[in-house]
Amino acid sequence: MAESTLIPVRYPAEVLAQLEGRPLLEGAHTDATLTDRLLAFNQAPAPRGWLALLLFAASGAGLLLLCILYTLDVGIGAWGNNTTVGWAFDIINFVWWIGIGHAGTLISAILLLFQQQWRTSINRAAEAMTLFAVLCAGLYPALHTGRPWFLYWFFPYPTTLEVWPQFKSPLMWDVFAISTYGLTSLLFWYLGLIPDLGALRDASKSKVARVLYGIFSFGWRGSGRHWQHWKVGYLILAGISTPLVLSVHTIVSFDFAVSVLPGWHTTIFPPYFVAGAVFSGFAMVITLMVPVRRFLGLQDVITVRHLENMNKVILVTGLIVTYGYVMEHFVAWYSGSEAEWFVFYNRRAGPYAPLFWLMVFCNCVVPNIYWWRRARTSLAVMWVASLLINVGMWCERFVIIVTSLHRDFLPSSWAQYSPTWVDWGLYLGTMGLFGTLFLLFIKYLPAVAVAEVKELNHELGQAGNRGAAEVR
Amino acid sequence: MATRGRSVVLGEFAGPSPLLDAVRALRQEGFTGLDTHSPFPLHGAEEALGLRPSLVPWMAFAAGLTGAALGYFMQWGFNASLYPLNVGNRLAHSPPANIPITFETTILFTALSLFFGLVLGFFRLPRPHHPVFEVEAFRSATTHGYWVSVELPREDAPAVRRARALLEGLGGSNVSVVEEGP
Repeated sequence: MAESTLIPVRYPAEVLAQLEGRPLLEGAHTDATLTDRLLAFNQAPAPRGWLALLLFAASGAGLLLLCILYTLDVGIGAWGNNTTVGWAFDIINFVWWIGIGHAGTLISAILLLFQQQWRTSINRAAEAMTLFAVLCAGLYPALHTGRPWFLYWFFPYPTTLEVWPQFKSPLMWDVFAISTYGLTSLLFWYLGLIPDLGALRDASKSKVARVLYGIFSFGWRGSGRHWQHWKVGYLILAGISTPLVLSVHTIVSFDFAVSVLPGWHTTIFPPYFVAGAVFSGFAMVITLMVPVRRFLGLQDVITVRHLENMNKVILVTGLIVTYGYVMEHFVAWYSGSEAEWFVFYNRRAGPYAPLFWLMVFCNCVVPNIYWWRRARTSLAVMWVASLLINVGMWCERFVIIVTSLHRDFLPSSWAQYSPTWVDWGLYLGTMGLFGTLFLLFIKYLPAVAVAEVKELNHELGQAGNRGAAEVR
Repeated sequence: MATRGRSVVLGEFAGPSPLLDAVRALRQEGFTGLDTHSPFPLHGAEEALGLRPSLVPWMAFAAGLTGAALGYFMQWGFNASLYPLNVGNRLAHSPPANIPITFETTILFTALSLFFGLVLGFFRLPRPHHPVFEVEAFRSATTHGYWVSVELPREDAPAVRRARALLEGLGGSNVSVVEEGP
């Protein structure tokens, strides 16, 4: 452990130049200019564009509050769910948001373990995205209980009722998985944030900012003795977050796979859900980063190479998801089970077929444009594609959940599902909440991991024995 | 009786390698209460400061084991022993069904121990009033400055003078002394 564990293998600049077409950090930066550049948006007064966006997003969050209050008042009868389709928008959106969150952990943890230097510029914002996405996701199952004030019944606490949670149920596994995931993501994010809060405290001009950032940085003083433990602790947190993120979506898929319903009861669900989560999560990072890097002037730090790498991940996971769809249909046919085959026939040709084909278009066709470097590096193309992919992944969850439920073994209980305005309001509302939190985050916290970028800048400078800009 | 309290001698250096060279030189001179202050973790700081390997992994390992044991026995206790639950006549105690929650509690305990163990135990934070903050120029330590600090007993005035002279001789700028204590 004496040799630093965070130091990636250093290659000579000539080798790097052949392997990598674009620089990780652009422009010749020193520590001081990086501090100025990366914290500039935090220091400056709030621009009007930001305020307008915040107002827009906050009104979405207001809609969420309204719909939550309405749901609590009326009960979940306010939603479109019926006795046949008992799970609908609530679980669709829950899975969608959780999936989006996974890219943040993937970037911050798995890429750290694989010593991928390009993670450094995007990990902080991606982790924040994870946290806010998990927060939005958690609202749905809580509201779906109908009586969220009894939510504490989920947890094993000493009660005179002597009724403990049923730990063999995947829904209980979900409670533990999601709460562990949310909390671990928060701690990982905050541990990385402490040095940058210290930097923000020391770079701030206003007294209020100094005091507030001083409190939240816990009095960090960049001590070498602290950094030693920080590095080890950060790496272990990355190490445990990696299996955690895989376990979370695996457990989410168990909610379906452990049941005996045709279309759900398949062993391919865990890997296929995890790939889908990474796929949609990276798409969301692209959706957010393309405007944010421009808005905050971070083009030198979040370069086209970062975006291109993420698009490569999107291409790979898109292909895995496509393989998942093909396999589901193949196994349904090969199983010879009439009910199973009917569910897949119903997906392709039943009343919800348009959503199925939209899903196929967005998730199987769209990512293939990334075979071309031009598409991978064009901001306009990737932004539109990332939006389409998230539409596609939402359709996937709708298709999996609603089409499996609405026509199962017993034709007498078949029913149609259509969402109500409350369903839509909750969905749009969580987007508003997510947007509000993300906007507050980029304004009041460093959106890029400042300390890690400085470290990378020094490493790259060392690699070429010149400025970072020379490593091309 | 000697007064209690300590003096902290601070000096700023131009970059990571001059800083680490200065730390090595100070250690050779016999100074022990040394520390570096830098905006990011410096490669080779552990070796220059002569730090022992971090005990953080052991703490995390112990916490992980505790989490695993508590998670497993919680499920066994609540569903098989204290309040046996018959679900479709399956075994009350079924190890495979207990794996997911055991895994999650392992991670949860490890993560909690890492964060709180590091901040409260290893860093001894929150502490917003450390003597180094008395020097206004020390602000740069979290943004672009590379500082060394030497902690000495306050009554040892000759050592303080020697540290100060040494830091100035090694090319340190903003060399200053902060005194703490009654």
